[in-house]
Amino acid sequence: MSVRHHPGEELLLDYTSGAADEGVALIVATHLCFCTECRRTVALAEAAGGALLQETAPLAAGALDAVLARLDSFEGSDVRTEKWESTFPGRSSGKPRNDGTPSPLWSYLEDGLSGVRWRGMGPNLAFANLFRRGATRVRLLKGMPGADTGNHGHHGLEYTLVLAGGFTDETGSYAPGDLQMATPQTVHNPVADLGEPCINLSVTTAPLRFNGLVPRLAGKLFGF
Amino acid sequence: MHGTGGEHEALIARVAQDRDRAAFAALFDHFAPRIKAYLIRLGATPGLAEDVTQEALLSLWRKAHLFDPAKAAAATWVFTIARNLRIDQIRKERRPQMDADDPLCEEPRGPEENLAWVQPEGRLRAALAMLPPDQARVIELSFFSDCPHSEIADRLGIPLGTVKSRLRLAMARLRTAMGDGA
Repeated sequence: MSVRHHPGEELLLDYTSGAADEGVALIVATHLCFCTECRRTVALAEAAGGALLQETAPLAAGALDAVLARLDSFEGSDVRTEKWESTFPGRSSGKPRNDGTPSPLWSYLEDGLSGVRWRGMGPNLAFANLFRRGATRVRLLKGMPGADTGNHGHHGLEYTLVLAGGFTDETGSYAPGDLQMATPQTVHNPVADLGEPCINLSVTTAPLRFNGLVPRLAGKLFGF
Repeated sequence: MHGTGGEHEALIARVAQDRDRAAFAALFDHFAPRIKAYLIRLGATPGLAEDVTQEALLSLWRKAHLFDPAKAAAATWVFTIARNLRIDQIRKERRPQMDADDPLCEEPRGPEENLAWVQPEGRLRAALAMLPPDQARVIELSFFSDCPHSEIADRLGIPLGTVKSRLRLAMARLRTAMGDGA
C-alpha cells in the first residue's frame, strides 16, 4: 500500500509525546495502520522520548517499599492478554476485528466500519458522529461515487483520513491511508472518486464555512 | 545488538522471568525519579506525579514479560508506559493506537521495521546532545510542554513553519545518526 499524503513530522511528534488531543491522536494512529514510514518515525521519536527522560525528582520516602508491598496483589492476575505499550504493535481497548476496520477505531465502532449507523445528508452524503471533546469533533463521512461535498473553508483545522474509496480536490487526490490537513487558509471542494464509496475519518477543531446558501444551511442543520 | 547489551533491558528480563525483586528495585531506583520529573514538567502536582509514577512502576512489573528488547530500548518502553498512563490517569482520555493483531498493519513488519535505533539509548542520547540548540529546543518542548506544535510556535514567538522545519531537520539528524537512511 503506498500512501502519498502523510501527517507532517510535527503531527507525528504531537502523537508520540501525547500532546495531541484524542481526536488528532486517533487520526494519526489510524494513518499509522496504513504507513510503515510514519511508524518508523514514531518509533524513532519514542526512542528520543526515552532518551530524554534524564531529569530526576526524588520519590517520597518509602515509595519503593509501598510499591513492593503491592506487587503481590498482581501475582496470579491474568496479564497475558495485555499487549505491548508502544506504538507498534499497539494495544487497542476495543474488541479485535477482522473486517478491515483499522484497529485504533475498534473501541469507537462496536460493529466496525460495516456496521456504522449513517445519517444521510441528501442522497449522496452521510455521516456518523464518533465523539466530541470541547470544540473538536470526530466523525466518519461517507460520499457516494461522484458526491460533491460543496465548496467550503475552515474556521479551524480539518483533518481528513481516507479509509476507503478516495476523493479529489484542488490540492490533489487522496486514497486509503492518505491524510489531508486543511487550515483556515484552505478553501476546497472535495469530490468523491468514482468506484467504491469514499469513507473518511474527519477531525475538525471548529465549524466548517460553506460558501453556498444551501450547503451553509445544511451544515448548520447537521452541526458541521 | 538489538538492545541486548543494556543493563536495564537485562533487569527487565529478570523481572519477567524470575519475578526478581532486586532487579525491580534497581529499575525503580533508575526510572521512578525520571518518570516523576517527567510528569511534573508536564504540569502534574508532585503528589499526583508520585501516585502515577508508582502506577507506572507497577505496570512495568506486570508487563515485563511483554517487553521485547528487539523492538525498543528499556527507556523507550518506560517512556511509552509513562506517557500512556499520563493520558489515561491525568488527562482522562483514551490513547488510540494500532493493535498488534490488526491484519491491516501486519504485512510489512519485516526486519526493516526492527529498527536500527533499537539499542541502548546511549547512542541516541549522544545524537540528541549534538543537535543545534534551536532544533534541540523544539524537540524538548515537544516532549515536555504538553503543547501541540502550533502552541510551541506561539510560545517561542516564531512562525509555525519554522517549528515544522526545525522538527524535520532534527528528526533527519537523529535518523542519520542512528544509521537509518530511509
